[in-house]
Amino acid sequence: MKTESPKFVYMTLIATTPEKLWEALTKPEFTRLYWFGTDVESDWRPGSPVVYRWRGKISDEGSVLKCEPPRLLSYTFHHLLDEELRKEPPSKVTFEIEKLGSEAVSGESDMGLRGSAVRLTVTHEDFPPDSKLYPEIAKGWPSIVSNLKTAAGDGEAVGSGL
Amino acid sequence: MQKPSFVYVTYIQTTPENVWDALINPELVKQYWGLHKNVSDWRAGSQWEYRDYENERVDVAGKVVESDRPRRLVLTWGHPAGSECVAGSNAGEPSRVIFEIEPFMDSVRLTVTHEELGPEEIRSISQGWPAILSSMKSLLETGKPLAMTTRRWTK
Repeated sequence: MKTESPKFVYMTLIATTPEKLWEALTKPEFTRLYWFGTDVESDWRPGSPVVYRWRGKISDEGSVLKCEPPRLLSYTFHHLLDEELRKEPPSKVTFEIEKLGSEAVSGESDMGLRGSAVRLTVTHEDFPPDSKLYPEIAKGWPSIVSNLKTAAGDGEAVGSGL
Repeated sequence: MQKPSFVYVTYIQTTPENVWDALINPELVKQYWGLHKNVSDWRAGSQWEYRDYENERVDVAGKVVESDRPRRLVLTWGHPAGSECVAGSNAGEPSRVIFEIEPFMDSVRLTVTHEELGPEEIRSISQGWPAILSSMKSLLETGKPLAMTTRRWTK
């Protein structure tokens, strides 16, 4: 029997600055470019609501737990669009942004990563043990974060607006 | 007990053929995979090696298990004696890497599964694959890899 609560972690490197990546995560004019077309709405104060709106409907909602621009953002996450999945209790999403600068990356297995880029780590956790939402978000995050990386543009090719 | 696996999925705005070539073309590999190259004739049953691009030191070696361009490449993954590989040691037992390349909408979904890992290996490759594959995506989409992956990894 599966009793462990699943946890999803996804990491990517983007040639941008922490400040630009923060904007991309917290402003609707950017989320709609890479987050399945949804607009994020929040004043990003701890305790404030967070809403993702898709074609006028709220697809996901939650409340801000931590907001420390431009390095840490976490909120509770409750999916609403799917009838079955909306019955699950809220889970938790955390974004960590680290600048990979001239100094080594924190942590022992830094692999000598150097240069000007940012490492984004998305952690989605606190699911019920038999979560049906978990396999969906495990498919969703790689798509969202891949689109974000392209849009946040590693530069000029796509989405130079970020 | 089952040995741990690491799975990483990324979407790249390119063609399956370009992703395949990025995995095996030394001039592309050296830009995003720590100044190394992958060397083989890429036929099932053949040997393959991950070599330093300049000094030819072999840091990972194994067999090509499956080779179906541009869809699926399966490799065994071992560390020869004397190699200086960031992936860490797996006590002699080779692990296995599966690259799956699928067209998805107007882009490509690349799924990398590294399985039968040792306990040390899982920690380092969990950092390594995201960096390598992020840089490969940058290279294929913009023509420019991420700077830190164009250099030799240092311990």
